[in-house]
Amino acid sequence: MHSFVYRLNTLVTFAAVILAVLCGAASFLDAFNSPSVRAHAEVIKFNRFRKQLSGNDEVSLTLNISMDLRSLFTWNTKQVFVFLAAEYETSKNSLNQISLWDYIIPDKDHAKFQAQVANKYPLIDQGSNLRGKKVEFVLHWHVMPWTGRMIEGKMAVSNFYLPEAYT
Amino acid sequence: MDWEGQKRSEIFMLISLVVFGVVAFGVGYAIGSFQIMMLIYGSGVVLTALITVPNWPFFNRHPLKWLDPSEADRHPKPQVNTAAPKKKASKQK
Repeated sequence: MHSFVYRLNTLVTFAAVILAVLCGAASFLDAFNSPSVRAHAEVIKFNRFRKQLSGNDEVSLTLNISMDLRSLFTWNTKQVFVFLAAEYETSKNSLNQISLWDYIIPDKDHAKFQAQVANKYPLIDQGSNLRGKKVEFVLHWHVMPWTGRMIEGKMAVSNFYLPEAYT
Repeated sequence: MDWEGQKRSEIFMLISLVVFGVVAFGVGYAIGSFQIMMLIYGSGVVLTALITVPNWPFFNRHPLKWLDPSEADRHPKPQVNTAAPKKKASKQK
């Protein structure tokens, strides 16, 4: 500890090490959070169901989404990114997942809500397999922390069948 | 800073940073605010820096006693023998 710069260097280095320990501890404690999520999503109506010029099916829906994600938030949570995916099976792909709607929840107060929305992103198939198809809604969430590991989770919400004919 | 001051400064720095870290984590976790933890720790680091890094007079309370000049004259420095034997590159044996 012989000079000003020497002491400054020691202090900065040690402070950085302690900061790393604090962030590691904060992230580690996140693993003990056991959340309970409730969610529901259903189709209110099919706005449009057609075959594009490229040959792919396209669906546009109006959804009613409600969820309670408050238990996902810890003190180390910056935001929760949530999206609703439509999953179905075709002969070409064993699993198709298409994100229809997503949202960023900034804090716990906004984590419980209900919304009636049209899908943000169109449901476009690789091909023309959607008539009469059974589709499952799965809600995915990514818990983004201030520091540490991002935690993902999902929950199957409901099933529905697409119409047999184009509208 | 003198030797004693350096030791005190270093010990104080280590303890202070660790204490601020622990307090920051505890308060942040209890309140549930990551911002508060960072704020407490950051201000703790700055405070510790202000106390331990500059050369404050209270770190100089045990100054080194240098030898008095009159005393030094009575004990002259020993002469180093500069006439070292030179090595000759001898070609003949």
